[in-house]
Order: sequence, then structure tokens, then C-alpha cells
Amino acid sequence: MAVKHIKGSDLSSVTSPGNKVSLVDFSANWCSPCKMLDPVLKKVSEDLEDKVDFYHIDVDESPETSSRFGIRGVPTMIVFHNGQEIDRMVGFRDRNSLQRQLESLTESILV
Amino acid sequence: MDLRTGLVGGNPGKGRTTDLVIAGGGPAALSASLYAARYSIDHVVLESYQPGGQAALTAWIENYPGMGRISGGDLAARMKEQAERWGGSFETATVTSTGLRDDLIEVKADSAVYLARFLIIATGAAPAKLGVPGEDRFYGRGVSYCATCDAPFFKGAHVMVVGGGDSAVKEGLHLSEFADRLTLVHRRDRFRAEPYLAEKLLSCDNCSVRWNTTVSAIEGEDGVEGVLLETPEGEERIDVDGVFIYVGRRPATEAFSGLVELNPDGTVKTRGIVGTSRSNVFAAGDVTDNELRQVVTAAADGARAASAVFNLMQ
Repeated sequence: MAVKHIKGSDLSSVTSPGNKVSLVDFSANWCSPCKMLDPVLKKVSEDLEDKVDFYHIDVDESPETSSRFGIRGVPTMIVFHNGQEIDRMVGFRDRNSLQRQLESLTESILV
Repeated sequence: MDLRTGLVGGNPGKGRTTDLVIAGGGPAALSASLYAARYSIDHVVLESYQPGGQAALTAWIENYPGMGRISGGDLAARMKEQAERWGGSFETATVTSTGLRDDLIEVKADSAVYLARFLIIATGAAPAKLGVPGEDRFYGRGVSYCATCDAPFFKGAHVMVVGGGDSAVKEGLHLSEFADRLTLVHRRDRFRAEPYLAEKLLSCDNCSVRWNTTVSAIEGEDGVEGVLLETPEGEERIDVDGVFIYVGRRPATEAFSGLVELNPDGTVKTRGIVGTSRSNVFAAGDVTDNELRQVVTAAADGARAASAVFNLMQ
């Protein structure tokens, strides 16, 4: 499972089935930690493909959506379940900590 | 990881036995790896939290000899490229604990265990927090520790920088290129930053400085809207859209606390420049208690530490 690039206008149509959550990574091409996060997201998306759908939004390409979600720092990862924000992570995460956090989140949300 | 291509240089492994483990991924670790590789020392660099270290988050570095003006990310990428070209070996793993096993140092990193004759601690430091109400709540919603990452979100805004050292002033100058207005708050009556930077900020058209002033709270609803200040004249609230905090650093030394002697502030207590309380463990860069903490001194520390390992191996 790769990380799918979407525009902000597509966000409302992003709906994972009830047994999955969606992680949306808001990032920018001028941001070093965002570039560092890209391969981490790719790896974690492969490990958690049955639990989490991964999306990427470029804040410069979708400024209105970024503003609507109060993004004022990148990378910011927002996790959605049934269209509702259930978690938000700001800044770089290494593979283990991101995976642990998502596993713990999905265990508590998905039954 | 290649900071420009985003490619991961190595995956978490199962661990191995080696002559030298270098913990960290910033300039001190990269320089140590370059020198260790040229000394033909079998080694592995365990990059963790922040590949490229704090240098990668610095907008512009203008005081690294020979480089002119270069972005921190590019400088770190070049250092890593150079170390890898000479045979530096990198794995992405966070050191979680260290100890002794027979004559070797045991380094646990994620799920892997490494055994090494020597260890260089170069794990750097993370930004210190102010510790005021609102700081955690608004992190990513107006509170930031990285102007390089977040300055473009504050075009035309009023932003505050807290601190008076090189980082505060340098990143404040970077922010002033985006913000309409920049207010720098410093608890003392003069900068600790190098005079060149201080003068540049003091002569910046859209910058002002509040001396002898501290932040007591960060306020807002969905994001930062203002701060409460303690000034010589009393409490004052001012409206700001963002708060960038540069009030020092917390050394990342938790994993080494049982292995080498630390100072009360968490830095590694050094003997000489890079020696520690244990003869086969060295420390380099921002984890040490050495006074000057710059990219150039971190790189020098890394070289000294690798050289010390080489000498002990002879």
C-alpha cells in the first residue's frame, strides 16, 4: 500500500471502510522533516495496510484545506475515522513510534 | 537517509558485533563516521529521531568554513554522502538503552542489539520547552520550534520569538522575511547571540525586542492568538499569531545514563574534549558539556572521537 497523493478538494471523498482509519499527511516540499517522513510513511503503510489508508496533501497545493484544519506546522498527520479527526501528530516520527501509535489507536478504535 | 532524495540509507537490522557504534545522525555522528571509515574502523551509525540532527532544521548556516551560505539540510546531506562514499554504514534505529556485556558495550536500538568495543555518543539534543500553559496545546497550531519548517505559514502575520541565543536570533531573522511583524522576547537585557547576528536583528525594519521579559502563557482557541508576558512594568497581553521557541536544548542522553557520568543538566560529563567517565566511550557534539555548540564544533568532536578510538585500537 502506497501513500496516495490527493488534493484538499478530494479530502471529503476520502472514506475508509468502517474497519480502517485514514491518515492524512500534510506536508511541503521545502520542509526537511517532511522529506524524512516520506519513506517512514511508505514503510508503515506497507506494515499497516489492513488497518490504515495513507494519504498525502501538499499544503502549498491546498492552502484552503490546510487552513481549514488549522495546519500551521509541517509535517502534520491527522488520523480520521468515520470522517472525524481522532488524532493529530505534529513533526517527524520515526518508523517505530509512528507504527506503535497507530497500532494503539486502531486497537482502541477498531473492533 | 538521504536528506535530499528522502531515501532511507539502512533499515533497522537485527544488530551485530562491531568495533564501533556511533549513536546519532547529526554532524558529530556524520563526521565521526567519515573519520572512522577513513581509519578502516568497522562501525555502524545508528540514526534516530532526527536524521541530519538539528542542523537539518536550520534554515541557513553561514559560519561553517568553506561553505559560504548553505541550508542546514544540504550541509547534513553532503556530510552523509561523504561518509557513505568512504564506507560509513548507517542504520535507522533509536538507541533505547546501553550496558555492558563482558568486555563489550551492549547497545539496544529498537528491536536490535549491537555489541561494540567502542561507543561514540552523538545523539544531539532536542529543543527545550518553555513549560508554560498553552505550549503543548498549540504545538503545530502556532507554537513551533522550527522556523525553517513553519515560517511560510506566517506570511503577513505577527510572530514572537522567545530566546536570545544564536538560534533565536538567526531563526528570527529567517521568520522576519515572512512575517509582517516580529517581536523577540528575551529574559535578559542583552543577547547571547554573536554580535553580527544581534546587530542584524536590531536593525531589521519589522523586528522589535522586548528585554527583561518572559512569556507566562500562550493563549487562543483553535490556534495561538496571543501571549501573556511578564515585563519589568508588570503583566501584559499582546496579540500574536505564532510563537517560536528557542530557549536551549535538552540533551538526548537517557539511554546512556547508566553507562557514563552525566551532569545534572543531562549533558555527558566530558574529560578532555570528547572523553567520558568510561575509557571506551566518547561523546561528541551537543550531548557534551563543551561550551560552544555549533556545527563546526560538532564535526570537530566527531573527528576527535573517531581518532581516539583509532589510537586505542592500535
